Amino acid sequence: MILILEAAFGFIALVGAISAALIRDSYGKLISLGVLVAGILPFIVDRGYIDVAITVALIAPIATIFVLMVARREEA
Amino acid sequence: MLDEILHIMAAAIISWILFVTVDIFFKLPETGGVSGASAIARDIEAGGGALSGGTMMGNIVCSPDASAGTLLAACGVYVAGIPGGLAAAVMVYVGNRICHDPGYAGTTGAVLATFVVYAFTLAGFAATDFIAGMVIAILTIQGLSHVHASRLLARLWRVRQ
Amino acid sequence: MIALYVVAAIAVFAAIRVIVEKNTGRKLPYANVLGFAVSGAVVLLIDHPLALVAAAAYFVGSTLESNAIASTYAGGVKR
Repeated sequence: MILILEAAFGFIALVGAISAALIRDSYGKLISLGVLVAGILPFIVDRGYIDVAITVALIAPIATIFVLMVARREEA
Repeated sequence: MLDEILHIMAAAIISWILFVTVDIFFKLPETGGVSGASAIARDIEAGGGALSGGTMMGNIVCSPDASAGTLLAACGVYVAGIPGGLAAAVMVYVGNRICHDPGYAGTTGAVLATFVVYAFTLAGFAATDFIAGMVIAILTIQGLSHVHASRLLARLWRVRQ
Repeated sequence: MIALYVVAAIAVFAAIRVIVEKNTGRKLPYANVLGFAVSGAVVLLIDHPLALVAAAAYFVGSTLESNAIASTYAGGVKR
């Protein structure tokens, strides 16, 4: 991948990771984790690991749903 | 290079018209659907937008609709021509059912977009222009000003009613 | 290919707006734009039928995730 594209997606991943650490609101943290995954997926695809990319793309949202279930149980 | 930029802008306008028309035809701005969409609509209204426009934007977030169908169809045509676009339509249909959405806005948008994009590739466009164009189109609705976009969508919804 | 640069630029813009926005209900449309942009980028990077499957899987996954976050957020408000 050309350097500027790598920098762009790397920036997205970095912004997602840092904001996941700094944002206090739980929903904000979960959305930031989604931004993180969005940033790293192009790197996985660019290397040719398309099957890994499909797996990550299917597992990351399921993981978020599990976290939401835990959060709702703690809230209730 | 300037040619490609003009093609992308034209593709953005065509994709915008295509997906907004299909979504409004399938009554996406109607309130009372998915609970997540209503929550997003309420927050957009609280920020100064229109409720029906916000409901359509919420529905776009919560389930693959014609905008997703157009994007994936353009990707499909880029990869494998018309069969690729139709395969993308099937994937959009499956995605709709996974998100508990019984509607056909996504699938219809994908099928229509497959033929529209393919026709334009015969006329000198590249399918990649439509991929970039569709991302620009969704940016104008969901990514610039929620207030203005929701008001525009609400006005178009009133035309349909 | 210019399309890939356009899509990457929109992805960066959407990512910044997601983080900066404070209200959850208004964050989600920006996250949706990011999902669109990354799906498009995946196909533009690798011209292969499986890349289409990866883009579709990622898009449906991110939509399902946004739907789950929005429904849980709505459930909280209703109570």
